[in-house]
Parts: sequence; C-alpha cells; structure tokens
Amino acid sequence: MTATEPRSSARQEESELVEMAWDPITRIIGNLGIYTKIDFKNRQVAECHSTSSLFRGYSVFMKGKDPRDAGFITTRICGICGDNHTTCSHYAQQMAYGIKPPPLAEAIVNLGEAAEYMFDHTIFQDNMVFVDFCEAMVKETNPSVLRRAENAEAPNAEIHGFRTIADIMRAFNPFEGSFYKEALWVSRVTREMFCIMEGRHVHPSTMYPGGVGTMPEPTTFTDYQSRLIGILDFVKKSVAVNDDVFDFFYEALPGYEEVGRRRVLLGCWGAWNNSDVCDYRYETMNDWGKSMFVTPGIIVDGRLVTNNLVDINLGMRILLGSSFYEDWVNEEPFVTHDPLGNPVDMRHPWNQTTVPVPQKRDFDSNYSWVMSPRWFDGQDHLALDTGGGPIARLWSTALSGRVDTPYVKGTGSGVRIALPKSDQLPEMTLEWKIPHDKEGRPLSNALERDRARAYFVAYSAAIAFYFLEHGLERVRAGDTKVFTDFEVPDEAVGCGFHEAVRGLLSHHMVIKDKKIANYHPYPPTPWNASPRDSYGTPGPYEDAVQNTPIFEENGPKNFKGVDIMRTVRSFDPCLPCGVHMYLGGGQELKKLHSPTFGGING
Amino acid sequence: MGQIRVGKPDVKVDTSTHVPGIHEGNKGPYHKQPGHNKDGTADARRSTGIYPKRHNPILKIMPNIPPG
Repeated sequence: MTATEPRSSARQEESELVEMAWDPITRIIGNLGIYTKIDFKNRQVAECHSTSSLFRGYSVFMKGKDPRDAGFITTRICGICGDNHTTCSHYAQQMAYGIKPPPLAEAIVNLGEAAEYMFDHTIFQDNMVFVDFCEAMVKETNPSVLRRAENAEAPNAEIHGFRTIADIMRAFNPFEGSFYKEALWVSRVTREMFCIMEGRHVHPSTMYPGGVGTMPEPTTFTDYQSRLIGILDFVKKSVAVNDDVFDFFYEALPGYEEVGRRRVLLGCWGAWNNSDVCDYRYETMNDWGKSMFVTPGIIVDGRLVTNNLVDINLGMRILLGSSFYEDWVNEEPFVTHDPLGNPVDMRHPWNQTTVPVPQKRDFDSNYSWVMSPRWFDGQDHLALDTGGGPIARLWSTALSGRVDTPYVKGTGSGVRIALPKSDQLPEMTLEWKIPHDKEGRPLSNALERDRARAYFVAYSAAIAFYFLEHGLERVRAGDTKVFTDFEVPDEAVGCGFHEAVRGLLSHHMVIKDKKIANYHPYPPTPWNASPRDSYGTPGPYEDAVQNTPIFEENGPKNFKGVDIMRTVRSFDPCLPCGVHMYLGGGQELKKLHSPTFGGING
Repeated sequence: MGQIRVGKPDVKVDTSTHVPGIHEGNKGPYHKQPGHNKDGTADARRSTGIYPKRHNPILKIMPNIPPG
C-alpha cells in the first residue's frame, strides 16, 4: 500500500470531511481505485466512488473472429480465473453449435472447476484477505483488539490447534505465519489437481467446445483423489479458523456487523452442469439451470426472486451513466427475440455495441471504464453484487434447496457439507447457515462474505468427491468418450452461465457467417465495481463503503483505512487495479488524467 | 470505435479464422486415432502399437481400460 503525505491545508481543522483515496488497491489484480470522503468526527465514510482506469476491449476485438477461438481468447481476460472464462465461453458455444459434451467430459470439466475454486479461494482468503486480520495489521490499527485476542480462547482449538485468537492472528502473518505458509502449499496442490483435468493453469490447454482432450485414464481420477484427500485436513481447519476469528471480531468490536454492510442484493448464475439433465439448449435452460450443482438465483432482501436462467438472462441490462462509453441504443440490434420468442432488450449484452470514448475522470460525470450491469426485475434496475462469489452461491443453493447429493445438500436455511475422514481429522459435517444480524434481518457484510469463502472451499472439495465417483464409474465401465463432433453454424446465438471464482459470469455470443458478430463477457467485477448508473444508483462497492463505520483506532494522520480495505477485499476484487493514498482538506489541488492502460503501474 | 482515431490495421480482424488445408479438430477423424472406437470406448491399441491385442482384457464382459 502506497500512502502519500497528507496535503497541508489551513482549512483542514475546520473540515469534517477528509478525502482519501486508494488507487490502485493492492493485493488484488487490476486498476481499481476507491475514492472516499471520510467523516472522522462521526467515524464513518460519507461518500465513495469506485473507478477503473483500464480499458480492455474484448468485446471490440472479438468481432470477426472464428467462434471456436473464443474460449482461448477470452481466457486471457483474467490471470487467475481464466479457466472460468474458457468454460463459460464453451457453454455459450455449445448452445450455439447445438451440441452436448459426453458425460465423462462434463465430469472432467466439473472436477477442474472444483479445483480452481479451491485454489483461488484459498490463496485469496489466506494469503491476501487474512493480511487485514493478521497480528501485524491488527497491532497497527486496533491495538486494544489484539490485547483482547491474547486472552481470548479459540472455541475450535481442538480442530485447528491454535489456543488463542492471537495465536491464529500470528499464524496469518504474511511470509512467516504457519497458516499463511500452509495455504501456499495447498494452493500448489490444488493447482496440480486442476492441471490433471484441464491441462494447464490458468489458461486450460485441454478444453474445447464439445468436450475435453484429457485422457480419461483411471489414474487421472485417482491422482486427483489422492491430492484432494491430502488437503482435507487444511480445509476442515480453515473453516474452524475462519469461524473463530470472525466471531471474535463481532465480540471484540460491537457493531462490526455494519462494516461493509449492504442491502442483500445477490446474484449467482450457477456452476457445475449436471450431465444427466443439461443439453445446452436455450429452450430447456430453465430445467438444466435448476439442476446445476450450485443453483443459480437472484436474492433480494434474503428472498429468492428467481432461479430460472431464462428470466435471469432476459433481465440483464447494461447501463451507462458514469462510464467512458457512447450509448448504442441507436445501433442495429443483433437479437430482437430469444430462441423462445421473448423480446430481448436493446440494453441486453446480446445487443450491446462497445463504443469507447476516452476522457478525463470527473466524479460529477463520467469516472470509470466499468459499465453498470444491472438486473431488471420489471420495476427497478437492481445493482446486484456477487459478495465475492461464495456468499451468493451458498445463499442461492440454500434457498432453492435443489442440490441434494450425499456430500452437499441445500437445506432451505443453509448448506450442509459432508467431508470424509482425512489424515488427522475425523469425518465432519459442516453447515453454512444464512447469516442474520441481531435483529434477525439478513446480513451481507464484509465478514460474512469472507466467512462464506472458507465454507465454499469445503463445498468444492465435497462436491469433487461426487464428480470423482461419477467419472470413475464411467471409466470402469469402459467409457472413454470425451468429445462430440460439431459443425459451426452460419448463424446462431448462444449464452453461457457459470460462476467465476469471485461470482457470476456470463458470455453472450452472436454468430453470423460462421464468424463472431457480437461477443460480450460479463464477469463478476463489472457488477461489483460498477459506477453510478444512469438512474444514479451507486455500484455495490460504492454502496457498501458509503456509510460504513470506521473502527480503526488511528486518526487521519496515520490512517490505514483497514475497515474500508476489508470491505473492498471481501468482494474479492479483480479489475486488472492498485494503492496510493492521500489525505486532504476536501479540495482538489491538481487533477491528473490516468493513462488508459494504467501506465503508471507498469 | 466512436471518435477515436486509429491507424490502419496490420492484419484483417478475422485472420485467425480457419486456414484451408489445416485439419479441424472438431471433425473427429477416427482413422487417425487408432484404438478409439466410435461408440466412445477404446482398446489397448490406444496405448500401444506393439502387440496391442495381447493387452486387451481376457474376457468380453470385462471393460477395456487402456492405461493412456
């Protein structure tokens, strides 16, 4: 984190609002900047803007390309969840080509994606998020909390082996702590598991539309299985450690529920297709969407609005308002009706045309390269967030109650996860419960987003056993078919719905003359980091940071902004963003125009 | 591209489209993949070209699981 000196100003004493900015934010990928005004008298954030100085333009240069290349190009969108893009692109292509991969190929893709969730959540949670909760950080920001942690017994000590909460915090210390180092080892093993299934991490080399090129040998599955069992101890300990630390924060800092709290507006597009049901046809998308092993869903104020993928698809709207683009409503639409005959809006990704207009950042008008994706429920354009992924996935699966396997079960009020016996720890059944505050209202805040991440690693590990059993059953029966032949049609439309590690992911494709006429990937961060839209609705980061209380004990002079960082990082931000920080008296001294390609960050 | 001034492209935007004469992987040429059967099964010829039949299972009811 780079911090610039506080700007000297004669009016600083009188001003209640102090401007602070973190641009770029560290420990995440990309060019995310968070610009805030902090009211130190009332100890809360008064205003927040989230901005990105990076233009990618995938939707611009995908036009005219061979649709079969889409998965290999779009995987480069991200350096950590690229395979989610490959998978999603192949889902969209399989719909456009009218094909269904063989069940064994689906099992291999599902196993690869499960390994990716385990890898990415572990490295982000334990090596990045926990730095905000480690002994070194808490000593600087909240020394009284650390003193209390020294004497606080850890309730799950018999599982993870740390006697006090302060012991856990010491284990989180970067580069030195035992938990930090163990997490690095686990992220290596889970990446090996990924490579067994998808060939290479993070841009898969053995995944194609129509199937996979992975040789389905018995050892492919047993190699994966032995590694999976090897990390189970860590997965079980990790859940216990997360519960202990986050419960301690609620106890030590009453009111911490409000940090990063936002109205529950969660979206999940579902993950892991069920090969028994899924045929990739748009007409049956509602049925196969509901049979996914993470049920898609939109949750508003704790209630499930829909889990029908067709409704989810048709409700998507891409709004402008504060983004550096020209509107496309006067362009020719690509898709006026979906394959079921429903009208498709001009602001839907199928009809979007990206027209970039580079300009200066101005917080009163346009200030970000991110557009504002919203979901239209018939009345309002909802600014859905993904909560970093896991909380939305668990919540949606819990409320739908459709996932019912021996390992994972949605119960209506939570998700039950059964993990088999491992090296040191016995068989365990974990339960993630829908979080509520003390008044019983549904709760989506920084700590609950982080907690859900640990549970989702357990979820992925458990469901991977289910995929392994199904894959091995087919191999033992002599089935080795992993690919379906296809022809590229002259004209077609396709959409893919998947979960990137940090939340919902969709790819929308239109093919004309066997080439891509329009292609729009919508990963989670445009939803989370979106700026104010044309209706003035702030994006989720802005909304979550605005009015968040400040618990840090430091004053403006040596302010770290740890509560704000915990809020932003709880969303698992991933704009290809970073942090310099300045304090000021509320007036701009100089306006700098950030270069389009984030040149100052190298 | 809106109002942005751009240079003349060096290559056509669809350069990566299929080049005639190069084999397309999505066609599934079984004659080039010995040991792979059309019904989705495989036999020992997939793993080895040396006396492959000797490596097949000894009974018909047994599944053929070549080692890769």
